[in-house]
Amino acid sequence: MKLLNGEIISNEKYNDNLFKISVFSPYICKETKPGQFINVRCSHPGIIDPLLRRPFGIFEIEKKFNVFSVLYRIRGKGTRFLMGLKKGDILDFIGPLGNGIDIGETRENVLLIGGGIGIAPLNLLAKQAGRMKKNVFFAAGFKNNDYFRWEEDLIELKINYTIFTEDGSWGEKGLVSDYIWDNLKSFKDYDVYCCGPVDMLKALKRNYMGTDNKVTALLEEMMACGVGVCNGCVVKVKKGKRGFTYKKVCREGPAFNLREVIFD
Amino acid sequence: MTEENRLFPYEEESGRNGPELAVELGRIKLSNPVIMCSGTFGYGMEYNQFYNTALLGAVTTKSYSLKQMKGNPPPRIFETHGGVLNSVGLQNDGINVFKKKDLPKAEKIGVKLILSIFGRKKKDFTELANKIADIKKRIIAVELNLSCPNVDKGGMAFSAVPDDVRKIVKSVVRIVKIPVMVKLSPNQHNLIEAAAAAEKGGAEAISIINTVIGMAVNVQTFRPELANVTGGLSGPAIKPIALVRVYSLSKEKILPVIGMGGIFGLRDALEFLIAGASAIGIGTANFVQYDIGKRIIDGLKSYLESKKIYDINEIIGRIRI
Repeated sequence: MKLLNGEIISNEKYNDNLFKISVFSPYICKETKPGQFINVRCSHPGIIDPLLRRPFGIFEIEKKFNVFSVLYRIRGKGTRFLMGLKKGDILDFIGPLGNGIDIGETRENVLLIGGGIGIAPLNLLAKQAGRMKKNVFFAAGFKNNDYFRWEEDLIELKINYTIFTEDGSWGEKGLVSDYIWDNLKSFKDYDVYCCGPVDMLKALKRNYMGTDNKVTALLEEMMACGVGVCNGCVVKVKKGKRGFTYKKVCREGPAFNLREVIFD
Repeated sequence: MTEENRLFPYEEESGRNGPELAVELGRIKLSNPVIMCSGTFGYGMEYNQFYNTALLGAVTTKSYSLKQMKGNPPPRIFETHGGVLNSVGLQNDGINVFKKKDLPKAEKIGVKLILSIFGRKKKDFTELANKIADIKKRIIAVELNLSCPNVDKGGMAFSAVPDDVRKIVKSVVRIVKIPVMVKLSPNQHNLIEAAAAAEKGGAEAISIINTVIGMAVNVQTFRPELANVTGGLSGPAIKPIALVRVYSLSKEKILPVIGMGGIFGLRDALEFLIAGASAIGIGTANFVQYDIGKRIIDGLKSYLESKKIYDINEIIGRIRI
């Protein structure tokens, strides 16, 4: 983990709400494992609004060119600031943060389940797993066709995938969690990695009750420091038979055993 | 004579290695006035990757209680304009874990620690004092977090009742040999009385301010943004509130004051020192500018040099009204 300044190579608009920012950083490209994230300063030096840094999962890494990218949706002041950055500007960030996923330790079959912007960190996982000749299947769910250009990235990855949208405007109509429920048996021998909205994760947790798949969720929570000192970004996790504890997403996560996560 | 020369009518001493930054708060001696606030810096370990945290005046640990505390449910953090609301709820592993695990690590990196402790009842503080009485190395002071709720008094903060402040301080001072300081809340209106009570009890310094109570509401769900409903506001938004408290308390000359609340850069730090703080605390800024501690120390040096002021004590409390 280092404090870094990286030159922006491009800030590509997928649509009005979805952007991809690519940054030059040999350090990030060398050190990052899938699931890890960066904490980005979303204001000019000396400006205090927005105040806190914003965490973003690493979306892709192009080692050849030492360029990594982050996919972001316009959600508020922070992402609107990012939207205004141009090629040649400098991004102030820290990373890689959090515990990454060691893809070498997973089973041969890997199922990735992404919802909305939650596809971003799974994308990096897909690429690495693909390179290690694992059998990867990517199931992604979206509200609408906002993310449609992401399909190009998937085709590039040469992995099997299926896409669902709630309004049917892209891929099949329906919820990705329902698709998983219907196909639990065909994905019996898969290690599962999921990332997305809480409702999707809750449904997946229910789906996987009584199965013995290893199910890992990449979680997000409002975050302040990103380095494990403020105890702000906690999630509720089972401890012992009946107890629970709060664990920090930034340092003890963002990868958690989904079966142990408690959604209130 | 210009106005500036009247303020500092001294010649720069020759043969010195830059301006003097050391300050003394009673028995607490710091190599510079920059302290990291409780709960925003761990005990210096994480930030030692960014700069040598042993260079800091001191690092205040997060607040430890007798036993482990789970803290409040998430979401615990919500950003407001120029500020952060938090309701972490003093999550910590308990004082024993601090002694066994954290303290040896802090000793290794050479950071000067101020140990922050809190209790839920008055007698918790005495018990905590007994547990830490044998710690000698590296802890330069104990900070009593008296902004937390007293369960014996329906959750009202300890600092709301000056006589409780005096009793708690006295009970701790009797047991621990190192200096004791008290952190007070801006949410009560008896700051001067509480500080005077701390002095009577034997405290060495006062840290102000703790966070300012606040809340935010989600207009889609109609629910509070924090699961705990209310939280403590920190960050630049509270700086003027903190500054006036530091000014009003330090001019009473009850005890040396450590000023904190929204310090985000050199200018903020200077304002607090000029207003009367003998040392300054940096909190929320650590989440945004990870090397801010070092930057402020360097900045203070350059500021003093540029003004030809040889000692930082020359500016402390020199506000002209």
